[in-house]
Amino acid sequence: MNERQMFLRRLKAGLKGMPRSTVADIVADYDSHFEAGQAAGRSEAEVAFRLGDPTRLARELQAEAGLRRWEDERSMAAALGVIVGVLGLAALDLFIVLPLLIAAVASVFSFFVAGLAVCLSGSVMLPFALITNLPGFAGDRLQAGLLSLGLASGGASLIAFCILFTIGLINVLARYGRAHYRLIAPQPSV
Amino acid sequence: MDPNLVQFKKGVLELCVLALLSQADSYGYDIASRLADAIDMGEGTIYPLMRRMQKDGMVTTYLVESASGPPRKYYRLTASGRDSLNAQKAAWTDFTRSVAAVLEQHQEKTP
Repeated sequence: MNERQMFLRRLKAGLKGMPRSTVADIVADYDSHFEAGQAAGRSEAEVAFRLGDPTRLARELQAEAGLRRWEDERSMAAALGVIVGVLGLAALDLFIVLPLLIAAVASVFSFFVAGLAVCLSGSVMLPFALITNLPGFAGDRLQAGLLSLGLASGGASLIAFCILFTIGLINVLARYGRAHYRLIAPQPSV
Repeated sequence: MDPNLVQFKKGVLELCVLALLSQADSYGYDIASRLADAIDMGEGTIYPLMRRMQKDGMVTTYLVESASGPPRKYYRLTASGRDSLNAQKAAWTDFTRSVAAVLEQHQEKTP
């Protein structure tokens, strides 16, 4: 197999998961780059060397696509895309962030689950507290109702805090990932 | 290469591409190799940039048959691309002038 095929194959393998038409466009660009390079009298090996490592190139393209999507829409899927994209880059040369990132994601997730549980149990307790009293509760119905209400809203604010923290974390990740591109130019922030 | 220098060069890459295209329409390899020579950048960096500039409406593309191999994709500057070039050029000129002025002062003080 020659250098050109090898480069394109590794690039394509690295772009797995992106929309097929996007992958085709990207691969076509680099394919014609080889074509034009040869027309200009360069060897395939030389063109490939100047383009850089195709695996790294693919990871950076993936990360950038994820970051741009996050900027367009603040959705759960887009946030996940940023995390996966930056992790892909991190696996190549940013080993230090991996444990930090995993710890941050795990703790946010557990706070989120805790908040959800507290909020849910508060909401479930509320109607019971108002209609009858809570079983085994020493105070009167008003106290039981206020207690349930407090749990529900406390849980909800914990969830809201987790979401805000996650958005902040993703934005930091986006900036961090972009600062570590070597082969592609980041989108200048407008 | 110094990593700071890499980031610095990436910042002006778009300006350079706009300036090249304002002289004449061009295709990816040509832009890449000319810029790589001029500012010492990896050649692969040009394609994601071109895709984004196309998405932002700064350039359009058209295909031209080539003597050897498949047709080549040429990039042409749009009106909004030209506006962006003028704005970025003005900002760059201002910035470099200010930096040069500061550096000159620094030189005068240190004999």
